[in-house]
Amino acid sequence: MSEQNKTATRTEFSPEDFERVYDFTYDPHEERMLLNFGPSHPATHGTLRLVMELDGERIVRCVPELGYLHHGFEKLGEYRTYNQVVTITDRMNYLSPMNNNFGYILAVEKLFGIEVTKRARYFRVLLAELSRIMDHLVSLGTWAIDLGAYTPFLYLFRERENIYNLFELLAGTRLTISYTRIGGFARDRDIPPEFFPQVLKFLDGLLKTVDEVERLLLRNKIWLNRTKGVGIITKEDAISYGITGPCLRASGIAFDLRVAQPYSDYDEFEFDVPVGENGDVFDRYIVRLEEIRQSVRIIRQAIDRFPEGELNVDPDTKVMLPPKDEVYGSIEGLIHHFEMIMLNRGARAPKGEAYVATESPNGELGFYVISNGGNGPYRFRVRPPSFYNYQILPRLLEGQMLSDTVAVLSSLNIIAGELDR
Amino acid sequence: MGIESKLGDNILTTRIDSFINWARKNSLWPMPFGTACCAIELMAVLGPKYDLARFGAEAIRFSPRQSDLMIVAGRVSIKMMPVLQKIYRQMPEPKWVISMGACASSGGVFDTYSTIQGIDNFIPVDVYVPGCPPRPETLVDAVMKIQKKIEKERSAQYR
Amino acid sequence: MATNEEILKKIREKFGDAVLETSDALGEAAVSVRRDVIVDLLKFLREDPDLAFDFLMDLCGVDYLEMGGFERFAVVYHLYSLKHNHRVRVKAFVPENDPRIDSVTELWAAANWAEREVYDMYGIEFNNHPDMRRILCPDDFVGNPLRKDFPLQGIGYRESFEKIDRESAQ
Repeated sequence: MSEQNKTATRTEFSPEDFERVYDFTYDPHEERMLLNFGPSHPATHGTLRLVMELDGERIVRCVPELGYLHHGFEKLGEYRTYNQVVTITDRMNYLSPMNNNFGYILAVEKLFGIEVTKRARYFRVLLAELSRIMDHLVSLGTWAIDLGAYTPFLYLFRERENIYNLFELLAGTRLTISYTRIGGFARDRDIPPEFFPQVLKFLDGLLKTVDEVERLLLRNKIWLNRTKGVGIITKEDAISYGITGPCLRASGIAFDLRVAQPYSDYDEFEFDVPVGENGDVFDRYIVRLEEIRQSVRIIRQAIDRFPEGELNVDPDTKVMLPPKDEVYGSIEGLIHHFEMIMLNRGARAPKGEAYVATESPNGELGFYVISNGGNGPYRFRVRPPSFYNYQILPRLLEGQMLSDTVAVLSSLNIIAGELDR
Repeated sequence: MGIESKLGDNILTTRIDSFINWARKNSLWPMPFGTACCAIELMAVLGPKYDLARFGAEAIRFSPRQSDLMIVAGRVSIKMMPVLQKIYRQMPEPKWVISMGACASSGGVFDTYSTIQGIDNFIPVDVYVPGCPPRPETLVDAVMKIQKKIEKERSAQYR
Repeated sequence: MATNEEILKKIREKFGDAVLETSDALGEAAVSVRRDVIVDLLKFLREDPDLAFDFLMDLCGVDYLEMGGFERFAVVYHLYSLKHNHRVRVKAFVPENDPRIDSVTELWAAANWAEREVYDMYGIEFNNHPDMRRILCPDDFVGNPLRKDFPLQGIGYRESFEKIDRESAQ
């Protein structure tokens, strides 16, 4: 069986190998060089690989290779129940897990035909915006560190630790929270009372840090030289390659799903959508920074107008677990609990299919779920924004210098878990 | 007592093993082989709150030739496994491996066609860290366990 | 913004005999067609001024082995219109004994890698594709993982590496 696994030879990097696969003629008398920007590298965010043909410092051709983090999420989803798949969605875009949980559970609730309470809708918006801030903090921090600025990374990760504390108060874990369920949220009890004051205190500290990071980077000559005019995505290219999210908005097209096709009561909030002008690396940075500020606005509005009432739907709809005193107290509660929990049981959706798209920090995250009447999805398809954003990289890098690779790659914010699934 | 009383207060004597192990354990240079969500917790350990620099492990060299501790953080796929083996072979002796997280230790949530069910099937592992992802304090505890393991090594002995 | 019925009516008028089914369930317009008209249909959807579907949001495959569809496989295209803000889903059915369909890379560059992924996961080949090879699985992988008859635990690739022993005696 080990002869069959010839991927070991792929790392040996012989030019003849690449001739065969990438249609590249290697002439040892020319001055071209093949560089392998390997899967284990500090500046690739995760396990990305670029094979580049260089002429001095200029990149002539660049071929990305994917699949180093492919683990069969879509196949695994077909063998789990609807609520169990929530734990799988956590691990796709692991920088902002709440957005993945949110998008998936909206698709499943559409299949079931359930509408959640207003309190749950507002709470989901609040958590999704907190999660968007989390993603942009890491994106900006790692981008700065790739271009040589180490300090913003430390400041922004300090803020991210505060968000981890908030999620730990709610869900018990820091990163892979799996907090949403069909019909509401995971825990039986309501939101703890100390949550909202902590969020408000965190938001004040966050805005100060973001202002400081902007002051450090925005007028720095080196930063401007490395990011302005580099990696420009034109409008036609963006539409043809299916690019969404901050990369699209930085090119001048104001498309945000929270405004165009609002879901979960986003139309009741007032916020601006930052749009760039040139579509270069600098604009993508500015768009993400502004989005953090707009998310803070949305969270403040949500806390001001937070509705009262029940958090989860009524357990009589038979999609949520019943309260514990009913389970231990009555026979109907016990049967209801067993029907949800035991093997090969669980809430069953009617036959049908649903595609729901939400605005994740990277772009349009779509979930296409097909149900065959069983207790889990028949087909679980994720429309990954990073996959479509990454495709344009060879086009952006042709003719550029080698050091621009890092700037452009970081600005696209490719997350390998979502790219390869 | 003995020669130490003649040498005065500025000179200590010890065994060569203890001296070498003391130097090695307090300057572990990690090679982070981070693939997925555990890599984010690894970045948090290297961040300001749970500081790994206090253990001497500040110099994160992404070059295997200059490191002695490989932290495999995250799930390893069949396409990535040859890369992991090649990097392990490139590290010079003595070297240690921490398998961080449930996916690196045993496959974790992913019992699928393209996830390695535990890297210890293919490379030797010293410390396993459970969790999905493990809390940063757990990883710091793992580094301390590696330090204890290094203390017991007998490096200056001919075999 | 055209409603779902208007979109489906326009498609039925132009391509009536190739349409197998249209549906408007759960507020989503969906149409199932035979595979030979797919490039013409998508071109029409993109260029018609009232429809103007200029974004190819997603391209994926489905295996209907256990569920029963018009054929075994389907390639599903999700389109979105930036101008009119509406969506449509197009399903092209592909039979098992001849899994080929035309590629749409000349209409949208986004389809390039998405079709490579469908080829990798289902084994459906795309005619006129510029670079038809596997993308997510290793290059010498045999089998198509997302088909319903491929086992979840795989066929042995994940155990087929050599074991490195500890060299120094600890």
